[in-house]
Amino acid sequence: MFKNEEMEINLGPQHPSTHGVLRVKLRLDGETITHCKPVIGYLHRGVEKICENQTFFQGQVWTDRMDYCSAVANNLGWAEANEKLFGITVPRRAQYIRTLLNEFNRLASHLIWLATHALDIGAMTVFLYAFREREDILDMNEAFCGSRLTTTAFRIGGLREDMPPGFEKMARKFLAKFPTCLEEYENLLSENRIWKKRTVGVAMLSAEDAIALGVTGPVLRAAGVPYDIRKAFPYAAYAEMDFEVPTETAADTYARYLVRMAEMRQSARIIQQCLDGMPEGPVMAKIPKILKPEVNEVYHATEAPKGELGYYLVGEKGSTNPYRFHVRAPGFINLQSLPKMAEGGLIADIVAAIGTLDIVLGEIDR
Amino acid sequence: MTEPIIPQAPEVPEAPAGPYVYDYAASPQRQVVMPKTVPLPSYRTYLAEVKAAAEADEAKWKKMQADYETAKAKAEADGKDAPKPPVRPVPRKDDNDLKTPWPQEAKDADLLLLQELLGAKVQEIFEQAGELTCQIEKGALHEALLLCRDREDLHYEMLADQSATHYPAASDFAYSVVYHLTSISRRKRLRLRILVPEGFVPESACSVYPSANWMEREIFDMLGIAFANHPDMTRILCPDDWEGHALRKDYPVVGWGQRDIAFREDRGGMIERIALQKAGQLGINLKQPKAD
Repeated sequence: MFKNEEMEINLGPQHPSTHGVLRVKLRLDGETITHCKPVIGYLHRGVEKICENQTFFQGQVWTDRMDYCSAVANNLGWAEANEKLFGITVPRRAQYIRTLLNEFNRLASHLIWLATHALDIGAMTVFLYAFREREDILDMNEAFCGSRLTTTAFRIGGLREDMPPGFEKMARKFLAKFPTCLEEYENLLSENRIWKKRTVGVAMLSAEDAIALGVTGPVLRAAGVPYDIRKAFPYAAYAEMDFEVPTETAADTYARYLVRMAEMRQSARIIQQCLDGMPEGPVMAKIPKILKPEVNEVYHATEAPKGELGYYLVGEKGSTNPYRFHVRAPGFINLQSLPKMAEGGLIADIVAAIGTLDIVLGEIDR
Repeated sequence: MTEPIIPQAPEVPEAPAGPYVYDYAASPQRQVVMPKTVPLPSYRTYLAEVKAAAEADEAKWKKMQADYETAKAKAEADGKDAPKPPVRPVPRKDDNDLKTPWPQEAKDADLLLLQELLGAKVQEIFEQAGELTCQIEKGALHEALLLCRDREDLHYEMLADQSATHYPAASDFAYSVVYHLTSISRRKRLRLRILVPEGFVPESACSVYPSANWMEREIFDMLGIAFANHPDMTRILCPDDWEGHALRKDYPVVGWGQRDIAFREDRGGMIERIALQKAGQLGINLKQPKAD
């Protein structure tokens, strides 16, 4: 006997493809999704409240723990938002090293995305290759700041220390081999028939919908909108860098894959320019040991690997901690578009839709 | 011949007698310190503060001069040497890379256009730290959002961020709600701000910018501002039965009553010691699991 009624199932909270603890309530008509509702909050730690009760310098370490796959990008956003709040000018050498580390971090984040996304869809091999290169980047993180994942790489006003000896050699060695590695991944995936069947035309999100839903990052660029904050509102040393903003027009999972692969090439280009044009000088601005702001509010957005990462800070006169701290997490806003992508598609494709958004629940729930 | 080493039992500190109650309400993490000022950035307030500071400075200088005159007159009468004339104090200049971004008069065309279009509904426009802020009347929010989105010369397509701040020390409002708009085509950002009293239900921005959906749910969850005509006004990060709103200033860092036994506050390990002692009285060895 067959029943014709709709079936409700829960994807998650513990499911390997949800990259954390995300629960998605699905209603199915056969294998087609008719209704999709993401349920979040399982990793909510109250980072905003904690940072409001700590000093500006102490808040830095909490930003690592939000998006642990791209901790450096989160650090950069926090440091720059604070510098905007206090009006600090950062030395040029510090800006260059920040840009350098940020781009390495983008590579690491995209590599972990590639590895897990491919693994979700069923391509096992690329996982091992991508993690091999990611390991090198984590080693460089370790050489620079002693920590691999939760880096706390920057300080408000610059850097704690200059690049360690031998770091440049490490970076150049990595850059020399990285293009070959990218080709390896592309050989495994780009023309792979199974990969294309699972990604082409899957989880479409048009440019109009993406803009209306506030979606940023590679997902927006894969819909043909060349919006990259590094170009639109340059920060750190990006104004001096020569790079392109890769876009695609297909707006599906495959297009997002192509955009991210192209972005990795651009990141390598930026790192090369940083290494070649590294200026000399101090790495820390002259700032007092205790920072007290005037009444001010800033919203500083940076282009994290996942999209627009915004920090909103309100400063209270004479106080050592922020009066209000708010994070515009790229994953939080991007995840809103999941129903739009998944509804009408097959249940097997929701795993691709979640993977292509490149979410990290640590920053979504904060 | 050496003495045999007698194994000694480790000293277990005595647990206090009677029912042990940890006073977790007294924990420093549960204390609430209410803010005393209203750090709402505003050009008007800044101008008033600068004026008041200048006046105070002038009054102090006048007093110094008057004091000098009387002291001089007194010294002349007594036949002593005249005292030193006062020197006007110069503000100290710090040698550092800090340059405080003060609020500045609005010169940007977008802000001026908004003021022209909305008239008296715009309460204030100013620029600070390179960011444009437009404070509008709370009822005119929808009108302003529609203008920003649809007009060709404004064209802010995306609502990048929406957030709110609690100001318990303010008298005529309780929250500020800010909307960070981004124009992708014109590469511009704009902050719209409304001031909302306690209990007021502002209009939801969802019908203009669908991305406001989850952001408004987060504001409701964290600060307790409900939005009218929102498709799904429920909590998003906290569970549905959570008490209070965590980002309000009257909410402690460690929440209310959510954890009756606060292990993180039990720094001395008192709970564990009591458990061990109670188990020992019952003849259970908690430290070493029994072999099968």
